[in-house]
Amino acid sequence: MSAPPAIRLVGLNKWFGTFHVLKDIELSVAEGEKIVVCGPSGSGKSTMIRCVNQLERHQEGEVVIHGRRFGESAAQDEAIRRDIGMVFQQFNLFPHMTVLENCTFALTWVKHLPKAEAEAIAMSHLERVRIPEQARKYPLQLSGGQQQRVAIARALCMRPRIMLFDEPTSALDPEMINEVLEVMVELAESGMTMVVVTHEMGFARKVADRIVFMDQGEIVEEAPPGTFFARPRYDRTRLFLSQIL
Amino acid sequence: MPDESRLATADRPLVFAPKPSRAPPSSAIGPIAWMRANLFSSVSNALLTLLGAYIVIVVFAAIINWALVDAVWEASNRRECLDKVGRAGACWPGVIAWIPNLLYGLYPKDQVWRINAAFLMLVVWALPLWLPGVRSKLAIGLSAVLLYPFPASYFFHGGEQDLLWTALIALGLAAFAWVWLTTFSERFTGLSFGAFVARVTGDAEQPEESARLRARIGYAVLYLAALALAAQWSLSEVPTRYWGGLFLTLVISGIGITFSLPAGVMLALGRRSHMPFISLCSTAFIELFRSVPLITILFMFNTMLPLFLPVGVEVNRLVRAIVAVCLFAAAYMAEIVRGGLQAILRGQYEAAAAVGLGFWQSTALVIMPQALRIMIPTIVGNFIGLFKDTTLVSIIGLFDLLSMARAVGEDTTWLGLFLEPFFFITLIYFVFCFLMSQYSLNLERRLGAGQRR
Ligand SMILES: Nc1ncnc2c1ncn2[C@@H]1O[C@H](COP(=O)(O)OP(=O)(O)O)[C@@H](O)[C@H]1O
Ligand SMILES: [Mg+2]
Repeated sequence: MSAPPAIRLVGLNKWFGTFHVLKDIELSVAEGEKIVVCGPSGSGKSTMIRCVNQLERHQEGEVVIHGRRFGESAAQDEAIRRDIGMVFQQFNLFPHMTVLENCTFALTWVKHLPKAEAEAIAMSHLERVRIPEQARKYPLQLSGGQQQRVAIARALCMRPRIMLFDEPTSALDPEMINEVLEVMVELAESGMTMVVVTHEMGFARKVADRIVFMDQGEIVEEAPPGTFFARPRYDRTRLFLSQIL
Repeated sequence: MPDESRLATADRPLVFAPKPSRAPPSSAIGPIAWMRANLFSSVSNALLTLLGAYIVIVVFAAIINWALVDAVWEASNRRECLDKVGRAGACWPGVIAWIPNLLYGLYPKDQVWRINAAFLMLVVWALPLWLPGVRSKLAIGLSAVLLYPFPASYFFHGGEQDLLWTALIALGLAAFAWVWLTTFSERFTGLSFGAFVARVTGDAEQPEESARLRARIGYAVLYLAALALAAQWSLSEVPTRYWGGLFLTLVISGIGITFSLPAGVMLALGRRSHMPFISLCSTAFIELFRSVPLITILFMFNTMLPLFLPVGVEVNRLVRAIVAVCLFAAAYMAEIVRGGLQAILRGQYEAAAAVGLGFWQSTALVIMPQALRIMIPTIVGNFIGLFKDTTLVSIIGLFDLLSMARAVGEDTTWLGLFLEPFFFITLIYFVFCFLMSQYSLNLERRLGAGQRR
């Protein structure tokens, strides 16, 4: 393999105060690979995924994206970050902007595209997540599932090479979960590199190349879905699976 | 008991047909129903309503009798008023005779047009902000805040101009002209002034570089014309000690209000900064100014400031008052803005960072618009408070609206006439404060459309 992996976490350690939240994390994600991260609440999944785009700073170890290491220069950090899109549990849309403005916003202010071009790009992504007709509404006028799809479109507008999802369906009513998962499945089929924290095991089975199980700040085991569900190696994993399946 | 006919059979499921909605019963809507529900819902509530109505009617009747029915409208001094109606009716001629002073202080009568012209200029300057089809609203608003002060202060103060002063006044005049030129060209051609100039002077085929150059030449011509005008412009000097009345109140509170918002935003950001030195300085400033009454700050600035300045540097009394008011208002505004910032969820910062925005961009475009919007009622409340607090400048010898009203009763012709001028300025204060608070409600409604949680 010649191309460097999309994401490489090397010896990652992080503390909140004295609390050791991430312990010697080693993870490598190839370009186009889909990783599902699961584990009990408080095990450090969000913290790990947020270290990938440096929303959280780590204290030890390295985060290397497409061969470029975070922390070498501010300009490079920004450039690396622009390659990574993120979707949050709570959507985090900008409530004072319309759906369309949410999407064009960064194109205008970060990529300095003219308005017409930015809107064309935004509309194409809103179509991709199947809500172009809501473009002029404000986020809080939409349902949770629609808001999350807008959040996905917003992230895609920046043409990221990697997409991070932190429990994208956990805040949704059950009947809206599928409309979001469908969009994510399509995105996966298009070849995007994805790291998804989720407990939707149906999605994991269908899309994931590897499942990573975390507990107490450590990666306990990682395996392709077939092996992971059929023959988990650790008792901890078995207990977790028996609780959520 | 389940209805037999609606029992499902194995091969035929029940069909759910929702009940149609009905209009509410007529007893639940309309003014009568509203009154019954809100004013007369119980015996004690009904009694309170009647008592309240009685008090309101009695008080209003008394005021109207005094102010209008029994009032004297023509007299040449207070004695005549007292002879006609005693104290039962208001004596308005004294107030009427003093109106010019209440509005403009001791500003020379033949120069008062300058004040009116300057206020008119502000209104005309800001007018495009409310016109549909104007795109450069941000630039227009900024130009009004940043550049209007130059021509306005020349209108107010007049006198000799040095070179820098002329250049700044010209900048203001050019901006004023630009506001209306761009308003017209945007409304009728959809092009901003610069683009319009470029379009008119050359054909569209020419490269962008030359279009930009021609737009710049357009701006330069505009500025040179304004410079010629400003150099010609000569008004007699009216020292600030002649300024007074409503005019002075508006100058002090207007400057205080426009300064306090941006300064408050910067102080609030400073206080939340991760850099300890900046955070410490901002916090110290805010707490210092918030823990001292405005009257003390005014007094300190008036008497102490000259002691700290080098000999020979003299700072005008009005400037001292304005600086004191600005700093005080900024400290209060900082805490209001900080309150708004605390209401913004952390996810908003993270979402902004995740799409690639830096600190200043996310603060200016994502966080502040939301924080300020939440705080509109408090911010405008603070503006209203500041407007009224400017009455305190009278203790350092400035003749604001309140001190001019007090002066009426000290005039030998109208000796002892205090109530009427105070009533009159109460109306003035009320109108201004009421307009501000109505505008804030209106702003909230417009900005909040569709965005409420
Ligand atoms: N900003 C923070 N400060 C202190 N502790 C935190 C912070 N964020 C998370 N934690 C703690 O770190 C641990 C891991 O959190 P998180 O990564 O959110 O777990 P998960 O996403 O797996 O539920 C939890 O115990 C949580 O309480
Ligand atoms: Mg989490």
